[in-house]
Amino acid sequence: LPPPAHLCLLTLLLPLLSSAAPISPAESISQAYSLALYMQKNTSMLLQTYLQYQGSPFSDPGFSAPELQLSSLPPATAFFKTWRTLDDGERLSLAQGAFLALTQHLQLVRDDQSDLNPGSPILLAQLGTARLRAQGLLGNMATIMTALGLPMLPEEDTLGLVAFGASAFERKCRGYVVTREYGHWTDRAVRDLALLKAKYPA
Amino acid sequence: TAVISPQDPTLLIGSSLLATCSVHGDPPGATAEGLYWTLNGRRLPPELSRVLNASTLALALANLNGSRQQSGDNLVCHARDGSILAGSCLYVGLPPEKPVNISCWSKNMKDLTCRWTPGAHGETFLHTNYSLKYKLRWYGQDNTCEEYHTVGPYSCHIPKDLALFTPYEIWVEATNRLGSARSDVLTLDILDVVTTDPPPDVHVSRVGGLEDQLSVRWVSPPALKDFLFQAKYQIRYRVEDSVDWKVVDDVSNQTSCRLAGLKPGTVYFVQVRCNPFGIYGSKKAGIWSEWSHPTAASTPRSGGACEPRGGEPSSGPVRRELKQFLGWLKKHAYCSNLSFRLYDQWRAWMQKSHKTRNQDEGILPSGRRGTTRGPAR
Repeated sequence: LPPPAHLCLLTLLLPLLSSAAPISPAESISQAYSLALYMQKNTSMLLQTYLQYQGSPFSDPGFSAPELQLSSLPPATAFFKTWRTLDDGERLSLAQGAFLALTQHLQLVRDDQSDLNPGSPILLAQLGTARLRAQGLLGNMATIMTALGLPMLPEEDTLGLVAFGASAFERKCRGYVVTREYGHWTDRAVRDLALLKAKYPA
Repeated sequence: TAVISPQDPTLLIGSSLLATCSVHGDPPGATAEGLYWTLNGRRLPPELSRVLNASTLALALANLNGSRQQSGDNLVCHARDGSILAGSCLYVGLPPEKPVNISCWSKNMKDLTCRWTPGAHGETFLHTNYSLKYKLRWYGQDNTCEEYHTVGPYSCHIPKDLALFTPYEIWVEATNRLGSARSDVLTLDILDVVTTDPPPDVHVSRVGGLEDQLSVRWVSPPALKDFLFQAKYQIRYRVEDSVDWKVVDDVSNQTSCRLAGLKPGTVYFVQVRCNPFGIYGSKKAGIWSEWSHPTAASTPRSGGACEPRGGEPSSGPVRRELKQFLGWLKKHAYCSNLSFRLYDQWRAWMQKSHKTRNQDEGILPSGRRGTTRGPAR
């Protein structure tokens, strides 16, 4: 074909190609990985800020209460062997489930704190930002699922009735667990996505 | 697990509290043995605790202090190994006092901003909510202000729907967990508390070569230009390095003023503010606006380029003394027109008449003779 016609054909095809072809797994994984890394930089600050506002013993330096847990949040820690041998679908859907729960719990904690600590805009802003970032990561992970041709996780209510009727102290503890687990799950997401990044190189 | 009772109690400062921590469930056979209490992270002395029965530990607190944080004091029941079993937030404080000193002002009759002070003793140790309420005196229902903290923590802004020529009743309600208090009612007419923007376009300039004066010019605030009012203005000025302001009061209904008695060769900062006095026939003075942004200008330096034109080279000591005399005259006599300008005009006139006198006598630089007119000798 004479050169002009060659180009002509290409320019006709390109728009069609780009709209039909989905984003590549490598690209979406890379994006999600960057976001998770970025989130990781702020998670300990969120936890510290949160604890400061609850008073002692929460605000004491080095406070840690691993015995406090929430049954509505999946645990971030797993046996290494189990974690390593998860398939892509399981790995991603576990992470998705966790961040879905986290976005809902972070909203709950923000509501609790606007009641317990009214007039603390810094804390409320940080909780809001964390929720938005978790939501962003959820979106990125959905894109990866689509790119890998995996089924999407349905959105469900992870809070249920646990949200209502909690006392002030219970709400303080709950916020601690959520901000703590947010940090743990962000660390885990970084590792999950690093694994996927290695598996689907650009 | 365990449970503390009572949950989230609200208590008056100095009161006592009896609390219990009851364990149940897992691990099975859990007892009250070894449990202990902390309040705000500090372990409580064992003599305050008592084992009520196998699964319940009691606590007796007396003479409680005000809560350390607004989210409540943390009373925690710990297992022997220090882990948290249960907690309860204590809210210890005082009911709010009557808010006082409500003051309000309206910017250009468009809105109303009010400020108040919380009751005398201040600290209630509990989060206290303030609500500014207002209503038309003669009818209508109560309205609540919605925009808080506009000029400090105890303030609110009502942006619209305000009636003129009719009195409003305004008050503040303070509420916390222990009770509420209401301030006295303030009655006012919007027109009596009007303030406006500072005068725009303040210009400060020299008055010719005069070393001790500056002329200040401004524009009356445009927002109120359609409303009848006798504006009052105040000017304040200070030397660049000083913190002492001099105030010129009683500048009524004019948009310029001359500052006198200033130091020569000095930079001055000048500000102007406006009071929309007697707006719409209100009998009261309005509220002074903010000061305009400082405008700077400098007075001419003596012996410099701003020397008044006089023709003859200056003879220093004579001029200095003359200046002092003129300054004194100005202060002590009502001759406000005295100035160097006048002196120099006189000198210029003297020179001219001197020339003509010389011509008369025939003593001219070029040696020409001629007839002249001039003052008779």
